[in-house]
Amino acid sequence: MFRKTKKWSGAILSIALVGSILAACSSKNNDSGASSSAPAASPTSSSSESANASPSGSSGLDMSKHVNLQFYMLGDAPKDLSKIEAAINKMAQEDLNATVTFNYTTWTDWDQKYKLLLSTGQAIDLIFTADWTQYQSYAKKGAFLPIEDILPAAAPTLQKFVPQDMWDAVKVDGHIYTVPATFKEYVTNGFVWREDLRLKYNLPKPVDIPTFEAYLDGIKKNEPGIQPLAIGSDVRGALSDTFREISHNPVGAPLPYGIGIKYDKPGDVYSYWGSDEQLQDLLTYKRWADNGYISKNELNEKTTNQEKLTTGKAAAMLGDNPNRFNATLNQMQSTHPDWNLAYYPFPLARGFATPVHPIHNGFAVPKSSKNPERALAFYEKMVTDKRYNQLTQYGVEGTNYTVDNGYYKMVGDANTNGFPREAMNGWAWRNPEYMLFDQSFDGVKAIFDQLDQIAKPDIFTGFAEDYTSYQAERAALEQVEKQYLYPLIAGQVKDVEGGLKTFMEKAKQAGLEKAQAEYTKQWQQYLTESGIK
Amino acid sequence: MKIKEEQSTLVFRYVAIVILILGSVACLFPFLLILSASLTNNDSIIRDGYHLIPKEFSWAGYRTVFRFPEQVMRAYGITVFSTVVGTLLGLFLMTMAGYVLQCKDFKYRNFFSFVIYFTTLFGGGLVPWYILMTKYLGLMDTYTVLIYPGLMTPFLIILMKNFIRSAVPDEMIESAKIDGANDFLIYYRIVLQLSMPGIATVGLFLALQYWNDWFTTSLFINDTKLFQLQFYLYNMINAADSISKLGAGSGVNVAGDIPTESTKMAMAIIVTGPILFLYPFVQRYFVKGLTIGAVKG
Repeated sequence: MFRKTKKWSGAILSIALVGSILAACSSKNNDSGASSSAPAASPTSSSSESANASPSGSSGLDMSKHVNLQFYMLGDAPKDLSKIEAAINKMAQEDLNATVTFNYTTWTDWDQKYKLLLSTGQAIDLIFTADWTQYQSYAKKGAFLPIEDILPAAAPTLQKFVPQDMWDAVKVDGHIYTVPATFKEYVTNGFVWREDLRLKYNLPKPVDIPTFEAYLDGIKKNEPGIQPLAIGSDVRGALSDTFREISHNPVGAPLPYGIGIKYDKPGDVYSYWGSDEQLQDLLTYKRWADNGYISKNELNEKTTNQEKLTTGKAAAMLGDNPNRFNATLNQMQSTHPDWNLAYYPFPLARGFATPVHPIHNGFAVPKSSKNPERALAFYEKMVTDKRYNQLTQYGVEGTNYTVDNGYYKMVGDANTNGFPREAMNGWAWRNPEYMLFDQSFDGVKAIFDQLDQIAKPDIFTGFAEDYTSYQAERAALEQVEKQYLYPLIAGQVKDVEGGLKTFMEKAKQAGLEKAQAEYTKQWQQYLTESGIK
Repeated sequence: MKIKEEQSTLVFRYVAIVILILGSVACLFPFLLILSASLTNNDSIIRDGYHLIPKEFSWAGYRTVFRFPEQVMRAYGITVFSTVVGTLLGLFLMTMAGYVLQCKDFKYRNFFSFVIYFTTLFGGGLVPWYILMTKYLGLMDTYTVLIYPGLMTPFLIILMKNFIRSAVPDEMIESAKIDGANDFLIYYRIVLQLSMPGIATVGLFLALQYWNDWFTTSLFINDTKLFQLQFYLYNMINAADSISKLGAGSGVNVAGDIPTESTKMAMAIIVTGPILFLYPFVQRYFVKGLTIGAVKG
């Protein structure tokens, strides 16, 4: 009897050990797969909810039943959200016989949460979409409800308010899945540097890579205590992608799997990884690292680049958008009024600027929504009704802000005000007619005006990648990239050519060719469909 | 002979004391560094790095954490509540489970042990768990969700079972039975009294688990009023970090007014403080408890 139990427990223990090892492995795999992949929107939700999709509101909006809408936005909820919610609900109850709950995901693991919200069939009526939340992929997989048939009845004003070409631009596979924001802005990159130091040592003004390098060199020589360039641990985003943007004239957003496409020859898809172009870039980064423009510790850096600028630890950033640049500048001057930052937009060097694509900010109705008509009707109010709009963007006038000479003015400061400007992260329901700007925004406006003169529409962001067939390769490539390419970009590998070769070998083992071939095929198809040559 | 021996013990004692002092200093050092950094001006940390004595003294880190004091205190309250209730309830359920599972006259104990064990090896994963919690149990944004998932931790049940088996001899239970005690009486009067070290150990594990929990909040809580302390603080720091990772292309602005480094350290101090006081109280059981039952299968 005793022996028997002993045997049993021994067996269980060994199973447990093996099992825990397996579990550890698989959970790791899950993680990497999960973070990189959008969900296959669960079939149960799409099939069970498709019945709701039949437009019942074609004969006008039926508002006889009270509904409570679930509204989901990314980021942190402002402190005074409950007050705003109460005020909005009072109006919405009257206008639409509806109330709304504003839910915020917080920024902690927001991508994972976003995926869970959309794939588990939870009842959600409105959710934020953007190119950087993979709107195109989610839409392609059927996470959102097509709204083109509901719009005319539920939100006619909204339908007219958003220009037709924007509606067309957000279409995925011929359907409209999101309501685009109409505020025109630029999130293009630009050099950011310390203007006061540049003037002090009479350094050249950075307008391209050589002049930028000359500036870095000047800082290194004259200010040994300051690190010339801040990169941070995301070397690919902050160094490689940005560097490519200014030097190789690529299309739109950063391309995955080392794919290269030139803006003026979109039909030609080549492999940037392993190319001579990449080797030259890597050698440049290596030179920068060797000369001490960037820190040896860059890959472990936790402090944000903006913070390094404002505290005077670093003297330049390779790229940032006008809005963030302006925020950094204000932040810096609040503590160091004698310091100064300057900005040179990449578009001026490249000769054209693309305003954000309409899918950059939007709100969609998920498949799981129980009240799509009312949700859109409510969203129409948020965008086109001045009371709703300003309340959710700026808070209560008098308590949270005042309007001074046409400018927005915060009451108190960020530590005392429970609802600072755009505290609800309402980028998507901004209405240019009702927008109020802080006086400091004039700097951004000046840059936008400059960019307006060379504006060209963004024709490439509409491309929706579908990576279901090469999901495993995609996840594997991500790992290889982090392990072998990042140190190369950070200039930490002595033998750049050899390092690049190793990286290419590993990437090929991980399935680089398959991913690239599939991506190229889909890209070519997109070009033919949208008639771009 | 006698003196010689004393001398060698004396030498040994001094060496031991020196080594122990060095050891404790090595343990204390990082903690002091955190304390000092939490009192340093953030700009100074970024520029000059960490120092044992603050280069530029500042309360900014603590001021940021307590920017909205009512929110922090509320989060504190939530965490204390879920820790206390969760630990007590969890201890009750797990000692019961442990007692039943080790009873020799319980016919299906192997089967049930196996079922409990099985879940530690093969779980459904994150998405099914999420669906279960939100869709079927409807626990989104409730106090229950903060406590419920941790109540029956398989590992702790097994631990408890082994504790009880080794601490309470079968003969004792048998004789109690002869004296006319029923199972509840035995559980309450004998088993619980005798397995105190085990209860203290499991209780400490449980309390730590509840105290340090942020993941449940992250997944299931949208209402800021229900945030647990760990999540509230973690999220405060994380916001700046995640936003900066989004890259310039997203157009999301960095919330620049948080002194990240010093705030992080201030948070560490605030969070570890209370749980640190728990150790001395349970420690005497803890040391004994760790050795008992952990190995005997």
